[in-house]
Amino acid sequence: MSASCYIPENLTEALEIRKKVHAIPLAGGTDLMVQAKRGIGINPVFPAPIMIITNLEELKGIRVEEDGTLVIGALTTSAEIASDERVFYHIRKAASLMGAVSLRNSATIGGNIANASPKGDLPQPLILLDAEVVLSSIDGERSMKVDDFITGAKKTALKDDEIIKEIRVRPVKATHLFYHKIGTRRANAISKLSLSILADVEDGIVKDFRASSGAAGNKVKRDRNVEMILIGKHIEELPSLVEEFTSAWDGILSPHAMPKYRRESTRRMLSYFLERIAAGAEPGIIE
Amino acid sequence: MAATRIDDKIRRSDALSKARGEAKYVSDYFFDGMLYAMMLRSTEARADIVGITHPVLPEGYYFITADDIPENGVNSLHMIGKDWRCFASGDVKYVGETIGLFVGPSRAVLKSLVENTKVEYAVKEAAVSIDDAIAVKGGAILPEKDNDVMCQLYCQKGREMDDVFKDADMTLSETFETGFQEHVHLETNGAIVTEEGDSYVFYISAQCPFYVRKSVAGLLGLPLDKVIVRQTVTGGAFGGKEHFPDVLAGPLLVAESKIHKPIKLIFDREEDMEFSVKRHPSKVIYKSAIKDGKLIGTKGTIYYNCGAYLSASYVVLQRGVFHANGVYDIPNTYLEGYGMATNTFPSDAFRGFGAPQTLFAIEMHMSHIARRLGIDPADFKKSMFIKKGGETVTNGHVVEEVMLNDMFDNIAKESDYYRKSREYGYGSGRGIGVSFYNHGGAFTGNGEQAIIKAHARLKKSGEKVTIEVGSTEMGQGFQTSLRKIAATVLEIPIEDVDYPNPDTSIVPDSGPTAASRSTMVVGKLIERCAIEMKERWNEGDFSVEKEYEHPEGFPWDQETFRGDAYLGYGWGAAIVELEIDRRTNEVLVKGVWTSHEIGKAIDELIVHGQINGGVIQSLGYASMEKMENKNGHFKQTSMSDYVIPTSMDFPKQYYHIQENPYQFGPFGAKGMGELVFNGVDAAYVDALERAIGKEVYKIPLPPEDIEEALENA
Repeated sequence: MSASCYIPENLTEALEIRKKVHAIPLAGGTDLMVQAKRGIGINPVFPAPIMIITNLEELKGIRVEEDGTLVIGALTTSAEIASDERVFYHIRKAASLMGAVSLRNSATIGGNIANASPKGDLPQPLILLDAEVVLSSIDGERSMKVDDFITGAKKTALKDDEIIKEIRVRPVKATHLFYHKIGTRRANAISKLSLSILADVEDGIVKDFRASSGAAGNKVKRDRNVEMILIGKHIEELPSLVEEFTSAWDGILSPHAMPKYRRESTRRMLSYFLERIAAGAEPGIIE
Repeated sequence: MAATRIDDKIRRSDALSKARGEAKYVSDYFFDGMLYAMMLRSTEARADIVGITHPVLPEGYYFITADDIPENGVNSLHMIGKDWRCFASGDVKYVGETIGLFVGPSRAVLKSLVENTKVEYAVKEAAVSIDDAIAVKGGAILPEKDNDVMCQLYCQKGREMDDVFKDADMTLSETFETGFQEHVHLETNGAIVTEEGDSYVFYISAQCPFYVRKSVAGLLGLPLDKVIVRQTVTGGAFGGKEHFPDVLAGPLLVAESKIHKPIKLIFDREEDMEFSVKRHPSKVIYKSAIKDGKLIGTKGTIYYNCGAYLSASYVVLQRGVFHANGVYDIPNTYLEGYGMATNTFPSDAFRGFGAPQTLFAIEMHMSHIARRLGIDPADFKKSMFIKKGGETVTNGHVVEEVMLNDMFDNIAKESDYYRKSREYGYGSGRGIGVSFYNHGGAFTGNGEQAIIKAHARLKKSGEKVTIEVGSTEMGQGFQTSLRKIAATVLEIPIEDVDYPNPDTSIVPDSGPTAASRSTMVVGKLIERCAIEMKERWNEGDFSVEKEYEHPEGFPWDQETFRGDAYLGYGWGAAIVELEIDRRTNEVLVKGVWTSHEIGKAIDELIVHGQINGGVIQSLGYASMEKMENKNGHFKQTSMSDYVIPTSMDFPKQYYHIQENPYQFGPFGAKGMGELVFNGVDAAYVDALERAIGKEVYKIPLPPEDIEEALENA
């Protein structure tokens, strides 16, 4: 147990501290402060030194690169993401429904990924879009898919000398979009279940189809093999594939609590989306 | 300044200081040399304590247990009964029972002492649910009994049930269940004990300062006046600070008698959720006889889960039984109530005090009967309304004009109830539901006269007047209402009436701030004081004190529970409209319409606030507030897993206040704080049943439980 706290001025300094003492990066603190609290009138206790990285300008902001890749700095808050039109629909929507206003003003995308809660709001759409996370250390950078970075409930591939620098999302072509979060209530809620879906339909053919399920297992659930059931098919074929597809999708879910509800709601939402596309729904958001 | 009139809309006297953060709560008090306390609690639901091993206490730290209670004291908190122990000794009866109190200067050190103390248990099988208790799982909890029935009562109206059922052309038997509910008062429980001269002094967040005094004095064998209780600004209570503050004050008093320094004990939110009293879970079985489209008789068997100690449970159960007929004149009823002892944290007072559980059950039961008769539930219920002079289930009579028909007409028109009821039908995904309810004002029967004997005092000093009562402000607005009553009678500005938080060494005991009795009973006392003071206004500085006087002609027998259980009821009617998302079972509430008859609103702004709050709390109870208990441990321990509604969940509320001046209340006012909680849950569930086309029998109903209901139906 240690009470040490570092406040680096820039990324290089932060990476040096991270390398030397493996200090835990603390950004918005909306998860870490809750996890470390010890009760009223008692200082929080962390398992290692803490490094408050809120100052690091290198990790802030949203930009779009020439090839259309969206880059979101790790310290970008949910509020900033939710209000930026350049951000892909699913991510923006998820950010807008995260906690309450005050939390969205301090919680960061890097923190939400690092916390790796199966109920976390942002990993689910990021995994849908094959987003990559860029990890910095004093020795260099590496990147990997968010889906590979989060290895299980509260588990990540982050090394003890690394800091999440940014998240990169390459453009994804899609004609039909769906996002739904079932919270414990209508606002300021933790996710009970969430689902993102997208489809790219061209001349009646499903060119791409993706889905990702949050709070339905030890981590966000997505499976390209299951998605392949629908890809390449004509929308007229979809009704006959609903049963096969939704059953296969159900097979990848592993909800711990309220399994029946989580499975059946997911099945009904997926079916609904497919029925709407089969019925020739206009491109856009499926409500 | 102009004299205050009763119909003025005025700003609450505590509003600004609370909004600005200036109000001083118990947690904000500091005294020189003050120490902190932390509880060592049971982690087992039922077990013998084999041994307790704590780390070596650093200098200036103490560990207080039952062994520290002096010979002339008893290890008992004197609530209504005396069974709740201050400290567990020899065995534990529920998870969270206080075993000891660590006291010292640093909370971090105290936390580490608690965490590193090892209590060795011989664990026994626990009874946690009502069904466990009926089955006497693990053997009887109460030493002197061979079952787990902690308290019971019955009452009969009309003919023998067997006889009534012979006449029936239809019968319906149903079982309803309701869950735990946590108070979630904004301010958690907290208290400070210190000494002044030869008296012990408490600063405490509490509804009933005189309860605290009575409860703890016996621990040290003290006369009551050697314990002084000063209520601090109390940030919400809902019944959770009626008896429960005693559980903090008791151990603190024992510690103070050893340590003689100020000691502060404040619960953090998790402690306050995991280790505090809750609303009684219930199981209510109704069997009804119906003949020619009329309900002719109902037999009710009512079980409440009381937890390990009695506290207020018997009185809660009585109120549950006395409200089990709802607002209906059922010609024949036989109602039996059983308070079941279990190894859970004791259940206790919570807004509604036993009435909401049976009111929910009877409302659903009535709707289900109506559906079988092919009548709109509203029309069936209206055909059974009790009227003035109608016989209650305790063979007493309703004293006031019952205005439910007018009240329903108002909200039916506002909500377009009948059109929607027809159009939405049953199972369309949309639903509109209706409920009716009441709440008997003040203490049951002759309790006000026989038990409380409330006193209130007005003190004049120059042109200023001070109210001296033991009644407390806990966010409900009473300090404003009571000032308004005094100022109006005295024809002076409300600013000239002071009403400080009570100190038991100064004020007379006006009874507990509970049972929706404050405005109706204490308000009346202050009105009487003010009338006399007005007549004697020119006599200089003086005080007027009045004692409660029971109106003539309302007999009550507390042995047999026969007679006039309540001298007046508040009445309510509610309509809820909603839609269900068929894919996710999420419920979208489209509107909430209520009408409440409370005699007369002393202050419409305060009443409006109470209505909004009570209605939302009731809707939370019905829809999302799920508190489960596994092996004696509450599963939901934080505000992120035990969720209460936000304004987004139930956004639109229409409210109507029905005037019907009450002869025994100040300016015609009756109680209303609990009434507004008592029944909107049933309107919500009625609407939900109509939307999904299935009957449900238990609350709360979050989406996953709706899934289960659809599956099982």
